[in-house]
Amino acid sequence: MNKKILLVLILIAATAAVFLFPSDEKKIRNNLDSLAEYCSSASKETAIAALKKVALAGKLCSDPCMIQIESFDIHRDFKKKELTDHILMMKKMLPDTHFTFHDTTINFPLDNRAELATTLRLTGKIDTDRFTEAYELSITADKIDGDWLFSSFSVVEFMEQ
Amino acid sequence: MEPTYGNGSFAFCWRPHYLFSQIERFDVVTVRFTGKNVMLLKRVIALPGEVLEFRQGILYINGKQIQEPYVQYRTPWDLAPRKIKPGHVYVVGDNRGTSMSRHRFGQVNINRIIGGVIP
Repeated sequence: MNKKILLVLILIAATAAVFLFPSDEKKIRNNLDSLAEYCSSASKETAIAALKKVALAGKLCSDPCMIQIESFDIHRDFKKKELTDHILMMKKMLPDTHFTFHDTTINFPLDNRAELATTLRLTGKIDTDRFTEAYELSITADKIDGDWLFSSFSVVEFMEQ
Repeated sequence: MEPTYGNGSFAFCWRPHYLFSQIERFDVVTVRFTGKNVMLLKRVIALPGEVLEFRQGILYINGKQIQEPYVQYRTPWDLAPRKIKPGHVYVVGDNRGTSMSRHRFGQVNINRIIGGVIP
């Protein structure tokens, strides 16, 4: 009986540890899911709700944050204000767009740095036409003051005309 | 890839296809687009080291016109000559009835070719 109680207590403690002390990988995955949620916009999203979400998305990124999109000739650091302004503009331009990240792999080349490879999937509507786009992203996350923040986003361009 | 593969049709990626054979011109291949599951279906039209060009929608390889019997509708694509890098192949879809800007094509690393296609 004592052994059974001990085993149950150990199981409860282990389960609590998993939920209360998530691993770095779990924290990063949670942040990525949150980023997708904050960047997504519903068609009837109010301006205040959009502003709140954009501010939260900004908090998940470092300041500055490097953005690289070769096909648009973008390869530079964005200050937090500039980044959140662009996210807000994008939400206004694409009011019914859903962001999700799939097939995410995370490596830790250093204790305070993580490298992610992931698929960004965008689904939405422009006028009356539905669209679905997918992009391969390389993301870097750095541990700054105990929090994992995304410090660079790069669209992987594998096809060269 | 219309008309060869219609929108909504099924095809299978044959991964062992290039284990014992080389990629050849006109092979239809699956190209890893992103992650593990998102693939592109494309046709190889140029091999490493070759110079590719489009003039008014007609394909030229190393200055010679190449017949493409699988292309049904052709818009006048113009693409300046470019050399295919080592370890890369040039892939294009069969549906040339759209403008170049709406078509995803170009040279890709052979490592991105997942396999051949059945049927």
